[in-house]
This record gives sequence, structure tokens and C-alpha cells, in this order.
Amino acid sequence: MRLIGLGLVLIAGAAAAQEAPFPIAAWSRTKAAVETEGSATERGAAVFNNWCSACHSRGPQNAPGTTSLQAKYQGSVPAALEDRRDLTPDLVKFFVRNGVAMMAPLRKTEVSDADLEALAAYLTRSRQ
Amino acid sequence: MPKPPPGLSERDFQAALRALEGVVGREWLFATDEDVLLYRDGYSPLWGEAEERFASAAVAPSSVEQVQGIVKIANQYSLPLYPISTGRNLTYGGAAPAYSGSVVVDLKRMNRILDVSARDKTCLVEPGVSYFDLYRHLRTNKIPLWIDTADPGWGGLMGNALDRGGGYTDIEFRDHFDAHCGMEVVLPTGEVVRTGMGASPQAKTWQLFKYGLGPWVDGIFSQSNFGIVTKMGFWLMEEPEAALQVSVTVPKRRDVVPLVDTLHSLMCAHTVPSQVTVASPVMAGNNPELVRLRGSGGASDADWDRFAAGAGGAPFWAAQFVYYGSSKVIAAQWEHTKDRLSSIAGVGFRETASYTFPLSDEQAEAVADKARYGIPSLNLFGSRTAPGAPPLEGHMDFSPMIPPHGEALIALSDYTGKVYADQGFPPSFVAGMMFHPRTMICFHAVPTFRNAADNARTRKLFETLVRGCAERGWPIYRIHPVFHKLGMEMFSAGDGSLHRLHETLKDAIDPNGIVSPGRYDIWPRRLRGTRA
Repeated sequence: MRLIGLGLVLIAGAAAAQEAPFPIAAWSRTKAAVETEGSATERGAAVFNNWCSACHSRGPQNAPGTTSLQAKYQGSVPAALEDRRDLTPDLVKFFVRNGVAMMAPLRKTEVSDADLEALAAYLTRSRQ
Repeated sequence: MPKPPPGLSERDFQAALRALEGVVGREWLFATDEDVLLYRDGYSPLWGEAEERFASAAVAPSSVEQVQGIVKIANQYSLPLYPISTGRNLTYGGAAPAYSGSVVVDLKRMNRILDVSARDKTCLVEPGVSYFDLYRHLRTNKIPLWIDTADPGWGGLMGNALDRGGGYTDIEFRDHFDAHCGMEVVLPTGEVVRTGMGASPQAKTWQLFKYGLGPWVDGIFSQSNFGIVTKMGFWLMEEPEAALQVSVTVPKRRDVVPLVDTLHSLMCAHTVPSQVTVASPVMAGNNPELVRLRGSGGASDADWDRFAAGAGGAPFWAAQFVYYGSSKVIAAQWEHTKDRLSSIAGVGFRETASYTFPLSDEQAEAVADKARYGIPSLNLFGSRTAPGAPPLEGHMDFSPMIPPHGEALIALSDYTGKVYADQGFPPSFVAGMMFHPRTMICFHAVPTFRNAADNARTRKLFETLVRGCAERGWPIYRIHPVFHKLGMEMFSAGDGSLHRLHETLKDAIDPNGIVSPGRYDIWPRRLRGTRA
């Protein structure tokens, strides 16, 4: 059994809610539709919530991608993609379209090129 | 540029692509190398080798009419198509076609939840609807119904059901094909068929009664290539008042026999409603003596029990399952279960989680075994990430079916462990998973790699396991497209009469052989003998 402490989840959820432009429904970590209005960063947050957060949210619960990156980098960079300050748009696009390890690439019927631009803007917002 | 399908000239291929573009629009035809590679199977056991299966292009319709238009063009040019729904059937081929050169028909854009009936506890969905999508719809609209999700929630109801996948909740819902009720299919001729009551134009019961009138044909559209399914109905589980997750442990290796017999009996009596996993805490791990025993091919019960006694006293077997319903009924079911199992010396009973529903968002987020409560996630991938270890590159599921007998679980574990060891892989350990009411599936995640040398080893291992288990009476229930031919060879009774029947049907339903050539080794007449 992998029993998860509710307190830890609430703390992680609160941290996400403070920063994300859209409230994230904790039960799914996804949003129904990618927003077509708002800034690229805001639309990128919606794309992230919809397609990435089920693996890459701040976690560590319910975030196997974050767990994997923690194992890989051992804390030398933040395990959660939303906390990284070193990502570039090209790097984000590369991994979305090529995948890595167990992560399969995302097709254009899933994340369109326009969605991907917005996602890259969101994950590199600290550089802008 | 991607290569055209075998037998089709570059000129005709380009003409066909232009025609497809006319159906779906420029944005939704994908024919550059960069775009087509997005349909590659990242877990392919043939990665980077000449035989790896590649699409020649992909086309993404948004409606049934566009699917019909695509089929019409395919017939005109003898263009092989390969429909996918969400394209996430990873470990069983992903979005890559069974036959290289096929044009993938990516149905992800057809992602509408067409109907949900809280009163009738049913839904009707399009191919691109994922488990996440339907779960979110039910939560957002406060509809007190559960989905039954496959382990990765990004998969889709339709694709998983058509490949006969499974989940974890009540028996009526976790066999995903069995839980469907009615479908709409675009036949290879372009004709649209609705099955069951859907064939009666005014029927109010398309999602309520499976059979309709006359032969029930739904089964031929699963694990096959007889059409492109564009709508599918499903029965959904009414949200229970409560749930109780429990663990039953037994101390000795041979105790698995009465444990499984009794749990199977309780499942058949509808006392135990959920999927049951029977695993061995003792057999998991990397202790050298443990690894030796797992690979020995027949260590005795005494050897194993001696090892278990010296390994900290963990129970040899642990079974996990869940009760759903009213709290009073659950308490009675649990008590009855304990009564039935109490004759096993040393049996242990533990309540590991309990819930009352509906859950708040935060409570749902905190549920550990989400799929057992119809909550989609991608947490399965987490179980494959060992801290400090390089992540796996991929795997194929090897999924033999055995009777629900403890003896069979032990025999399979002995056999497969030795196969792994003999071929230089860490010997496997086995869990028996009772998804279906009368069998256990013993999944193995056979690793795949991004290099040919390691994949050659893994393919040899996989083939040995498939053949060896079938010879012992444990054939697989589902298999990666690279091994569809091998899989069907294990169903060779009557000199392959079942396979001949499949291809007889193929010739009748798909005379030009355009839909998914080679899927589950069903080949159209024009490509028979190719078996690429």
C-alpha cells in the first residue's frame, strides 16, 4: 500500500494554487479545455494542467515524472518542471515531441503547435 | 519524406494524400517525417531496426462523415489505414501500425462525450475520450457515477475496450469490452452500422440492452480489423456509499492454494466484488538467495518456507481487494470473508483503507490506489522509477492467463523465473490478478530498449515465454503487434481453423483489405503471405 499523507497533498496543492493563473482541480490535475484567450503564459498553464501535470506536478504524490526527475537530478535542479528556471522553449518542445524514457511523445492532435508554444512560454516564464 | 505503403506508387500515394487533405483540411493531415514520427511506438521491441513498424502518414478526422471519406479514398487507392483512438496503447504497440506504410487514422479529435445518463448509469462516447476526460465530466457535473479506468488514465474507454483491457472495480465494469453496450462502426466499405438496439432507429435502449436482434456481432470488432468504431456505449458504476480495502495474508507458500480457491469462490458468489491481486511479499527483492530461488525452476515449498522464515517473517502471500456498497453490507461481507478463510493456519486480516463517498477533491487526490476507486492517474509510471536508478526505456506486457488456482500460479512462477534466469535476465516474480471472473492474469513487464542488441535478447525472451506458457496451458490474452503472428500461432487448434475463419471474415467485410492489415495477424487476401 502506498498510503499518502493528506497534509502533504494539501500543502502541495496550496503552493500550486498560489502560482498557477488558473485554479487547478486537485482531483484530476487536468483542465477540460485549453483556454483560447489570455496571455501565452496563461494558456500554457492550461496546457500544462491538461497534459503534463498528471506526471509533472509538484508532487511528490501523484507525480511520477517529478519523482523520476528527483531521482535523476538528486536536487541539483528542482524536480517539478514548474519550478525550473533553466528550461528553454526549444528544450520544452523537444521533450514534448520526442518523449524520454517511459514518456511517449505527445502528438499534434493532443498538444497542437500553438498549444506547445504556449506551454513553452509558461515553463520558461521566469526567463522572460 | 515517409515511404509510401508497399505496392503503392509515389504518385498514387501523393494523390491519395491530397485527397485525404481534401477531407480533413491541411492542418489535420500529417505527412512530414517530423510529424509521422510522433506515431512511433516508443516501446517498440524493434526500435531502430529495419523491421520497426512505421506509418507513412496520419490523418485526423473530426466526424463520422470524415471517417467515411477517408475510407472511400483508401478503397480507391488500396491504401492501408490504421485507426487509433487515443493512441496510448503503450506496451501493446502505442500509435504505431501493425503494418508498415499504413496511414494512421488518428481519432483523438473525435473526443465528445455524447451522452451520460445518471438515471440509467450509461454513457456514449467517441474514440478520443480518455479516462481523464470522462472522470472530469462526471466530477464537474456532480454525476454520482464511477468510471472503471485502465492503469494509465490517458488511455481511452473505446481503445482499451476494443483491445479487451481491464480495470479494478466491480466485476460488471472492469472487463472493459464486457462493460460496453452498443457501438457504431464505419465498415471498410464506408457503410455505417450501429450494433445491438442501435440498429432499431427509434430504440430507447441502445446503451441498455447489448444484443438487439439477430447475431451479436460486437465481438468481431475487438482485437481485429473489421471496421473503424466511431461510437461506443458503456455501463457505469453507481457511486457506492462506502468502500473498504483489505489485505489477507497467509504465511506459507502452499497456502496460496486455499487462499485463491476461497477468494475465487467468494468472487463467484459476489461477496468479493473487486479485482483481486495475489502477490508474494517474500518473493520480491534482490537478495541473492532469493534471486537464486526464483530462477531455480522448482525450489521446493520447504526451501521457500525456510527462506521466508529467515527473511523477517513476512507473509508469503498477500491478497488485496475492495468491497463497495453500504457500510453495513460491507461489514457483513468482510466478516463472511474472514470466516471462509479462517481455516488457513496463520491467516492475517487487515483493513488498509476505507472511504465514504462522495470524496472531496482533496480526499480523491489523496487516495493511494486510485484505479480501485475509478480515479484515473498516471501513477503506474511511478512504480517504474527506482530512485537513483536509470529509468526504464519501455516494456511490453507479457500476459498469460491461468486458471484461478494457486498451483498454477506457483507452476507459472517456477517456469517463467527459470526462463528469465536461463536467458540472463533477473528472474521474474509473479502476481496473480483476478480481473476476469474465472481466470488470473500474470502480467510480466518485459523490458524493451533503444538498442538492437538488447532488444534481440528481449524478443527471444518474450517468444520463449509466449510459446512455453502456451505449451503449458497458459496462453496470452493480448499481445504487442510485433508478436501478433506469434500470439495467434498459440491458438492453432484444428490446424489454425480459428485464424482461417478470421481471414474469411476479413475477405467478406474488407474486400480491398484497407483496415489495419496484419492486426492480430488477420491479413487481407491481397497481402496474405506478406505477414510483414
